[in-house]
Amino acid sequence: MRRVVQSVRWRLQIWHALILLAVITALCLLVHHVAQEERLRRVDRELRSFDRAMFRYLTSNQGPISPEVIRERLRNLKPEGSMPEVLKALFREGESGEPYCVAWDENGVEVFRSANAPDSLQPPGCSKDAYEFLRTENGRREWFRMMENNAGIAIGKELSRERDELARLTWKLVLCGGGLWSLGLIGGWWLAGRAIKPISVIAGTASRIANGNLAERIDIADTDNELGRLSQVLNETFDRLQSAIDRQKQFIADASHELRTPVSVILCETQRGLKREREPQEYKDILDTCHLASDRMRTLVESLLTLARQDGTSGSLEAEACDLTGITSESIGLLKPLAEAHSIHIESDLQPTRVEGDPRSLPLVVANLVSNAIHHQPSGGRVKVRVFSENGHAVLEVSDTGPGIAADHLPHLFDRFYRTDKARGSAGGHSGLGLAIVKAIVDRHHGTVSVQSAPGQGAVFTVSLPKAGC
Amino acid sequence: MRLLLIEDDPQLLRSLTMGLREENYAVDTAVDGTDGLAKASSAEYDCVILDGMLPGLDGWEVLERLRPDHKVPVLMLTARDGVPDRIRGLDAGADDYLTKPFDFDELLARLRALIRRTTGQTSCRIEAGDVVLDTAARTVTNAGEDIPLTAREYALVEYLMLRRGVVVSRSELYDHLFDEDDDTLSNLLDVHVSNVRKKLGHAFISTRRGHGYCIE
Repeated sequence: MRRVVQSVRWRLQIWHALILLAVITALCLLVHHVAQEERLRRVDRELRSFDRAMFRYLTSNQGPISPEVIRERLRNLKPEGSMPEVLKALFREGESGEPYCVAWDENGVEVFRSANAPDSLQPPGCSKDAYEFLRTENGRREWFRMMENNAGIAIGKELSRERDELARLTWKLVLCGGGLWSLGLIGGWWLAGRAIKPISVIAGTASRIANGNLAERIDIADTDNELGRLSQVLNETFDRLQSAIDRQKQFIADASHELRTPVSVILCETQRGLKREREPQEYKDILDTCHLASDRMRTLVESLLTLARQDGTSGSLEAEACDLTGITSESIGLLKPLAEAHSIHIESDLQPTRVEGDPRSLPLVVANLVSNAIHHQPSGGRVKVRVFSENGHAVLEVSDTGPGIAADHLPHLFDRFYRTDKARGSAGGHSGLGLAIVKAIVDRHHGTVSVQSAPGQGAVFTVSLPKAGC
Repeated sequence: MRLLLIEDDPQLLRSLTMGLREENYAVDTAVDGTDGLAKASSAEYDCVILDGMLPGLDGWEVLERLRPDHKVPVLMLTARDGVPDRIRGLDAGADDYLTKPFDFDELLARLRALIRRTTGQTSCRIEAGDVVLDTAARTVTNAGEDIPLTAREYALVEYLMLRRGVVVSRSELYDHLFDEDDDTLSNLLDVHVSNVRKKLGHAFISTRRGHGYCIE
């Protein structure tokens, strides 16, 4: 039952049923009221018409008419040939639904009472003024015309025929209203089903996607309504979700792939070493090899951790004003021994520039770009590092005189584990994550990083970051 | 037995080369696909160990180009462990597929199996009279007595035992027992044959003048 009440279709149906019932009931009551009023007006017209016929009959054929004459005629009122047919009904006893008449003199004494008049009909009481009124009492409609002297006449009619008609109308209204309500319920159920169907489709598709079928999408037949727009938004969300999961899977696969070779080296060396007794120098060589492989794994794991930290804290950068010039200068100082070992000359042109950023991660940007430039050019090359301001941004530019990069590699250069050489090429201890780390940090700082290069013309990496105070 | 190891990672290349040489294999090396394909096409190897991700031509491309004309057994040794990669490698002509990280002893066992298969042997034990060669334990016994052999002497006995009854030419022996780094002096083979005969009996290796050597 709880499940039924929670169902949107059932909720829609219940609301629809209640609203439809209220509308039909109100309509039936209105029709009933109008019909009742109409019948009452008809009875009133009938009573007035009777009154006029009575008055014409009482005042006809004679000269001057006085109240005494009328009273006398009322006393002697009999059904006769000259009497209008409508007045003859006054004398038919037990005829319900026919008009009746009762007249009183100034003393309240009855001067005429028609045969079908009810016994309970009495003069309404004393009054100083003449008055007329209509009343409905005990299922009768009665019209009173009273004089100042309290003489008067009452003309009434039983409402039984009208009551029967109204009862029949009520039944008709109940039946028609009930039928209409039933039809409305069936139509409402069908409409609710039609309205709910796209939601069921969306829910089914979303459920299958949640169960692992990431490639499936909601089939949007009509995009120009709320559900179409919802489906579109959900499909876009699923696209982003799938893309993120695919990236994650690829990243894990790449990381696992990169770790396999150093693990193989360690396994191979240790198994080889344990196969027989060896000279101390041989053991030392084996341990050296294992150490190099472990060091390679350490570099990779550290790079992965750095990337994971950048990914994990995306959107929550606690920026502070940093001296980009100082950061760059310090990073260059740390890399100078490496550059000297490779016989690379580092030039710097650093203008005072401050940026809004994380002082712990920005040195990684400089260090990765500069060490990248050192490692990717032959001995005797030059690396030039510039820091300057341009168009409200702080710019870090690292250029080298290396062999350059082919155009087909440029779009993928910042991808994780991407190497211009499709083989591992990790002999120099590169994890293939340096530029990916640079991009992750720059993205987190809402900056941009780009590269310009061509074979034989070196490479220029440009990082643009928002300036402090802008 | 002479192997060609095509591997671009210098650390792994060095470790594997040393390990295999210690197991009495002659090992040639190549650090990229192009060089590997050239060597595999031009020399007689008993088995090729081929990495998947290589500069130049990758492992699968090397196989596709090598296979139509060369029957040398190829063991793919790669970090790509997906089923589609294995299928692609085996369909391209690899005889075996091993993923990194691997167990060195397993690699050796697979190499022995591949080499055994090409010579029609089914067992690790090969007998010639009283002499029994165990390729798994890498031992030679004569009438139940262990015979200590040097690495090159063992390789000579193993090669001839695997081709028992077949006359093997001197040039073939040179091709399969010495790698590209060896200084193959013309009399080096005679020295090894002489030493084996001293240890296992003069009649163990018979000489067919003008043709080569044979173990009956």
